[in-house]
Amino acid sequence: MNLFQVLNGVTFAALLFIVASGFTLIFGLLRIVNLAHGALYLLGGYFGYSIASWSGSFAIGIAGAMAGIAIFGLLLEGGLLRFVRGHELRQVLLTVGVAFVINDMALVVWGGDSFTVPIPDFLMGAVQIGPVFYPKYRVFVFGAGVLVFVLLWLLMNKTRLGVMIRAGVDDAEMVEACGINIRKIYLWTFLLGAALAGLGGVIGGAFLSLYPSADAEILVFSLAVVIIGGRGSLPGAAIGALLVGLLNSIGQVMFPELAYFVIFGPMAALLAFRPLGLFGKTA
Amino acid sequence: MLEVRDLHSYYGDAHVLHGTSLEVSPGEIVALLGRNGMGKTTLIRSIMGLTPPTVRSGEVKWKGETITGLKPHEIASKKIAIVPQGRRLFSSLTVTEHLTMLKSPRVKEGWTIERVFDAFKRLGERRNHRGNQLSGGERGMLAVARALMQDPELILMDEPSEGLAPVMVQRLEEVIIDLGKTGLGILLVEQNLYSALDAASRVYIMETGKVVHSGTTAALKADMSTVERWLGVHGG
Repeated sequence: MNLFQVLNGVTFAALLFIVASGFTLIFGLLRIVNLAHGALYLLGGYFGYSIASWSGSFAIGIAGAMAGIAIFGLLLEGGLLRFVRGHELRQVLLTVGVAFVINDMALVVWGGDSFTVPIPDFLMGAVQIGPVFYPKYRVFVFGAGVLVFVLLWLLMNKTRLGVMIRAGVDDAEMVEACGINIRKIYLWTFLLGAALAGLGGVIGGAFLSLYPSADAEILVFSLAVVIIGGRGSLPGAAIGALLVGLLNSIGQVMFPELAYFVIFGPMAALLAFRPLGLFGKTA
Repeated sequence: MLEVRDLHSYYGDAHVLHGTSLEVSPGEIVALLGRNGMGKTTLIRSIMGLTPPTVRSGEVKWKGETITGLKPHEIASKKIAIVPQGRRLFSSLTVTEHLTMLKSPRVKEGWTIERVFDAFKRLGERRNHRGNQLSGGERGMLAVARALMQDPELILMDEPSEGLAPVMVQRLEEVIIDLGKTGLGILLVEQNLYSALDAASRVYIMETGKVVHSGTTAALKADMSTVERWLGVHGG
């Protein structure tokens, strides 16, 4: 392991955090394991690619993808998931089905080639970090991950909406009995989680590239992050993302044949001692 | 003000409330007594619109308007608040957040965070502690304070004294009596008979999903055979 590989692990972790933070918010509050989250990531990436290519602006690509995926999430929650609320198996099957549909539609529209979201000139090239020259774009990804963490932390701890979301993670029925329309909170949370998946898609699509099975790969990593960190916990998602990101780097460098085992082996061991993850709480 | 008429509630196929009826007037503290498993909590949940149970017939009227079938948040917004069994505080929220969640600190009408901390000094001292870091008494106070922040006209209290030390039970009883004097209606479910009899002016006793006795507290105190029959350990 050299510094370059550690930096790769940390920047991958930043991307994982962006994707998994949305996943864990939805899982924590709505109790939905949204298996379409990876598909929303990929669709966000494709949206970002098309919009950024057409407009020539990476920023417009990000904004467009986040808005587009947020609207998609709104339709998914308000139009489909609300009808299976409280039925875990149906929710899982529904989100898997939606993931298949999104995948196939993406294949129709964008084809099977792999794309890379175009990035602005000032993010190209490398910067020197200690002894290594490191891609500027990956430094930007790290910054984006930190920014998302700070903004989400402020949202959850300093706004009434965030406090309601946290209360809902603890006891949604009681939030409703206090006179708060929990359905609205669900909708906002799902919208926010979806927008984060879209953001992740654009950011990830610029260095991991976009191709038809990219959704499943990011979904598996996000699941690991959320399971390690504990359902609904932002600090948990951050630490989980760092662990998974670094383990992924170690695995790829030192045990390439066992890359997945290096992530999921420690995860299984952790779950044996803390079944609810590092920051998990009982419902 | 609150009228429950011939309510039948079910948990799945289990018929729990068999035509329960009761009333609470403005500013009245009414105790709802009965042994464990007689349907008191089911009744509270049915009034609040919480499911399960499902209400299959009968109605709940509030100020003349039928509220059966409304969502819990709609019922709460009509100024009915609940102090549920087991308190059900939010374990990751601080004391302050429990209160500000329900009303912006900028709102100065009705119950404000300052007024709560004035009424419950202990909560003010503990304002940055989380729901799961409070003692039993503080938890009970916070559950009541959370209900008050909704500026209710009626509070449904489900065993607020449960698990409290005798001195805290007494303190809570004083709080309830004081609240009753402000014109608030309270429906008080209690296991603790004497605490309920001190606070309430009228009493209902439930047995297997039905109201089997109703009357004034004074009359019940004078008639210990009824108490023994429906609430006594060996009763029946």
